[in-house]
Amino acid sequence: MLDESELIRYNRQLIIPDFGEEGQEKIKDSHAVIVGVGGLGCVSASYLTAAGVGHITIVDSDIVELPDLNRQVLYGEDDVGKKKVIVAKRKLSRLNSKVEITPVFAKITEENVLNLIDGAHVVVDGLDNSAARLVVNSACVKQRIAYIYGGVSRLRGMVTTIIPGKTPCLACLNPEGVGGLGVLGVTPAIIASLQALEAIKLLTDRSPALAGKLLLFNGDYMKFQLLEMRRNESCPVCSSTLPR
Amino acid sequence: MKVVIMPGFSELMIVINPTGEVTREGMLSIIMPWFYAPWPGSQEKGVIEMTVPGDTLRALLTELSKRYRQANVDFEPINPGTNDLDFDYDVLVNSKNYVALDNGLDAKLKADDTVKVKVLWRWDG
Repeated sequence: MLDESELIRYNRQLIIPDFGEEGQEKIKDSHAVIVGVGGLGCVSASYLTAAGVGHITIVDSDIVELPDLNRQVLYGEDDVGKKKVIVAKRKLSRLNSKVEITPVFAKITEENVLNLIDGAHVVVDGLDNSAARLVVNSACVKQRIAYIYGGVSRLRGMVTTIIPGKTPCLACLNPEGVGGLGVLGVTPAIIASLQALEAIKLLTDRSPALAGKLLLFNGDYMKFQLLEMRRNESCPVCSSTLPR
Repeated sequence: MKVVIMPGFSELMIVINPTGEVTREGMLSIIMPWFYAPWPGSQEKGVIEMTVPGDTLRALLTELSKRYRQANVDFEPINPGTNDLDFDYDVLVNSKNYVALDNGLDAKLKADDTVKVKVLWRWDG
């Protein structure tokens, strides 16, 4: 049940057709894990907190550095040198004190990933490298937890929603490319907002629009593309463990 | 030049002026159908043959872009702003990155050269 203050606070989303109190209660009963609270994670964490997701775990092993401040909007100049997850928890709790925020100061590894995502209804990608993403992807496939990939470079970005057993997983797609190409601050904000939207749709039992589809954003020419993808029958991660 | 296009695994494979038959036999499933086969019936056919005006890598990519546009697929590997390869893509000729070719995108292609076009993923956060 939502209390009176929640009915007021979430009014603008409660009045959305097919969302209502039922949708809000589902969000309230949900647990989202955000892996990485950098450019992407700061934004997805903010919107999921504002939306009233009951429990959010944020995982990151970095401290705030000055070059982060062009895009990592939960942090300010006073936060340089502090642990991102601690600052993020404080800021997110100020945004919505009713959301339980669990900060985890850790680097994601094959050894700890299953513990980190345990109990999550959705895992939202805020990472900055391919290796950690593939580790998270494998764990989500194993635990059958939806994983919303997002990645950016410069003025470009990508999003896809991975639902183990139904859509291609990240490993199916043999993703290639390099990081460290630079990021304009608004690019992760755009991509992470789309990730948060997909997460809210998943948590409220709506169909995520990016399941089995790759959304490409090109901010140079302001283009969006939505592309179909299929599962790889020989995927080393999901083909042998999940039904087709 | 005549080219034969076929879907690789996650890349587009193009054989230039093939001297033998080109088939998909033994290759893995297609995971990005939009990338390979935006033309009706092409997935059933397995490979696509087309004629490209010119004999350079640039001519090939320019023609492909035009053909994809006709099929309502936004595939523009040559960035119109830089006139070089867009950083969403990578291109290899006989497994060699195009930047290592003598004339880069303007390198001339010869019979049985294999061109691979890959979509690059974004990893920053």
